[in-house]
Amino acid sequence: MSDLLDRVVLPVAHDDDATATARALDGHEFGSALAVHVVEKAGGAPDKASVEQREEAAEEAFSVLRAYFDDEVDLETRILYGTDVADAIFEAADDYGASSIVITPRGGSRWIQLLTGDVALSLVTETDRPVVVLPDVEEETGGSDGE
Amino acid sequence: MSDEELAKDLGLLSAMTIGIGTMIGAGIFVLPGVAAQEAGPVVVASFVVGGVVAMINAFSVSELGTAMPKAGGGYYYINRSLGPLFGSIAGMGDWMGLAFASAFYCIGFGQYLTTLAPIPGLLFLSDIQVGALIAGIVFVGVNYAGAKETGGVQSVIVLVLLGILSIFAVFGWLSFDYATLTGSGGLTPMGYGAILPGTAVVFVSFLGYAKIATVAEELKNPGRNLPIAVIGSVAIVTVIYGILVTIMLGVVPWNDLSPNAPVAQVTEIAFPGGLTGLAVTIVTLAALLATASSANASILASARINFAMGRDGIVTDWLNDIHPSFATPYRSILVTGGVIIVFIAALGRDLEVLAKAASVLHLIVYALINVGLIVFREADVEEYDPDFTVPLYPVTPILGAVASLALVTFMDTIEIALSLAFVVTAVAWYLVYARRHTVYEGELGKFVTERSDEMPDIAVSAAETVAPDGGDYRVMVPLANPEHEEDLITLASAMAKANDGTLVATHIVTVPDQTSLSSARERADDIDTTSERLLERARENAETFGVPVETHTILSHRGFEQIFDAARTHDADQVVMGWGPDSHGSPGRAESAIDEMTGDLPCDFLVLRDRGLDTERILVPTAGGPDSDLSAEIATILRREFGSKVTLLYVADEGESAEGADFLAGWAGDHDLGDADLRVETGDVETAIESAADDATLVVIGASEQGLLQRLVRGSVVMDVVDDVDCSVILAQKRTERSLVERLFG
Repeated sequence: MSDLLDRVVLPVAHDDDATATARALDGHEFGSALAVHVVEKAGGAPDKASVEQREEAAEEAFSVLRAYFDDEVDLETRILYGTDVADAIFEAADDYGASSIVITPRGGSRWIQLLTGDVALSLVTETDRPVVVLPDVEEETGGSDGE
Repeated sequence: MSDEELAKDLGLLSAMTIGIGTMIGAGIFVLPGVAAQEAGPVVVASFVVGGVVAMINAFSVSELGTAMPKAGGGYYYINRSLGPLFGSIAGMGDWMGLAFASAFYCIGFGQYLTTLAPIPGLLFLSDIQVGALIAGIVFVGVNYAGAKETGGVQSVIVLVLLGILSIFAVFGWLSFDYATLTGSGGLTPMGYGAILPGTAVVFVSFLGYAKIATVAEELKNPGRNLPIAVIGSVAIVTVIYGILVTIMLGVVPWNDLSPNAPVAQVTEIAFPGGLTGLAVTIVTLAALLATASSANASILASARINFAMGRDGIVTDWLNDIHPSFATPYRSILVTGGVIIVFIAALGRDLEVLAKAASVLHLIVYALINVGLIVFREADVEEYDPDFTVPLYPVTPILGAVASLALVTFMDTIEIALSLAFVVTAVAWYLVYARRHTVYEGELGKFVTERSDEMPDIAVSAAETVAPDGGDYRVMVPLANPEHEEDLITLASAMAKANDGTLVATHIVTVPDQTSLSSARERADDIDTTSERLLERARENAETFGVPVETHTILSHRGFEQIFDAARTHDADQVVMGWGPDSHGSPGRAESAIDEMTGDLPCDFLVLRDRGLDTERILVPTAGGPDSDLSAEIATILRREFGSKVTLLYVADEGESAEGADFLAGWAGDHDLGDADLRVETGDVETAIESAADDATLVVIGASEQGLLQRLVRGSVVMDVVDDVDCSVILAQKRTERSLVERLFG
């Protein structure tokens, strides 16, 4: 096991995202993992969606990871709240003493990235710890084989 | 900061600006001209009356909002108090009311947009409608993609608007002329009778305070901030409306006031020469901003209501999926957006229809909110603990409900008809779809059914008729005799487990006729201890099966009959009950009533004649038919759970054994019992069953269509088998299928 994947933080935005992350990570040896979902707060205006609605979506994404990794992996989950998604993830990584943050970008056109504030870019450019970018296995190889 | 604090980031100012920002757009920028044509200068009083009605309701919304700071607002309170039927009406009313209001705001936006830039009409659409459609599509798009609205923006928009309106007020006041106000026919050219119809038109400009409640889950310290924001925003906009509309009517005579862009018209007159152009442009931009923010807030609020409805199973949760990239409830927003577009295109030529339809639907919801508040208070709901309570209870909520419905009567037929169409749709939707998907009964339903002996029959049967079925499979086990309960629980748990369901353990305490139920309830301590012990044991037993358990105690004069009532009340899909010398009171009383009831089983019944439950060798006599289907199902469940060995028995007529064997083999295959032992006998049915039962530890018999339960209840001895065999017997009868119409009116 490389030290890099000793304690990983897995940001998941959605259940599909969680599937991609789980699939991508499956071929690698890693220690413990903290899955996080950030509920983006407007910080003084009503949010885009109900907080409880976002929390339900987060639990769905987490349950995908739990189902994927069974009991063999030490997996924690946490819902974060913040006006800046990347900052919230960094803070959680700090807390957890993460060795790295693992992301699986899932494409999306430029304008979608623009509209969503491109979290992946912020994670890579503003980070103070290693960020591991794993390819989305299905999209790369077209197969279900995790290696 | 804790997560809790981070999730709740709306302070008092933010909450207040949601309310004011939503309301102000309509009242000032869109409606004064239209409403003035309706009532003359006294329309100012129409606004004030609207403010008073809104204020009374604001008190009730505040109480409920502090008790339940949940997403969904009015819908949520009504669903919790009055149950899912009214919840469906409220959800639909709130949702469509917001869609009408959004269409109305879009039209208002279009009116000012066309003064700023020429927009061509298109096909059957006026230029204003085209402008409104563009606006509507943009607003829906913005909410779909969830362009990030950060903290201050909302508050800044509202503060800027208020600033612009203040300047407008100052300059307007300088050109104000009392003679202009009274010039054309005095203050009441149409008489005082025009005030309330005027209120009917302008009430839409008070729809906004309740939106604060739909985002209550995001408020900091909702116990304090929610009432202040809700009541405060109504007070503030009422004052603003009163002052500004008076000023406008003192600058431009009421009959000349533009129905399309009144504020721009007044500005043109009020501002001094060189500044006019700039002032009109600024005011027009303010109008666009105000109507846009109203529409935006309404679309956002409707998605919250959809979510709350989806969570309760009133609408499909498909609607509430979160977009993978945008993190918005995109489907809900698209559907709402589609409805808004249709409203703009179909009804947008008449602003008043949109405004009033929005008001009627909201007023219906407000009336229900007030009734819901009374139910929460009167039903003495334990969890109901509001930080804010309405003054002068029960006067305030009663007044709120009456005033809301009274205002509806001043609307025109078309708006009322449109709204009622949505109410009817909601009721139909509930009966056809939601009733099967929702599980929450509501405090009113619980209140009525828990007191089914004191309440008028019609109330009880009405409550039962509309009570939710739930998606959950519920197996009720009525417990009477503590000695024999364990086998019953085992059987019921197995049935519940097989259906992924819940076990509902019900202790029915039969109170002698001489004792009134209320005095029995006073002795409830004794009963409680017995009951608790009994139900606790039931819980422990069931939990060994990993089945969720619910427990209830029911006091009743009636023993057996009460089981049927309880089965309906608790939405049982199946009842597993004991039958024997010491079970459930004396049969034979009120035979005809029992006949009627048992002819009309509310759910599947399994009756266990318990002689020690041993599931090792099960005998299932069958002659086909729906009730044997149920016995086959029971046998397969027991086989799976306990590894039972199943024998099927068919009693054929003399000389038809071959046909019998044929039938039985086919039947076994159809019912997933292909590997069971098949046994075909001839001769007397009862003798055949009894002799086959000698080898069995349990006999499962489907009740005949003539209604085995009736015969059993009357204590007649038609089913000698039950008494003559040595092992335990399960009698199974399927529920009586009734059509929707029968259920409603039967």
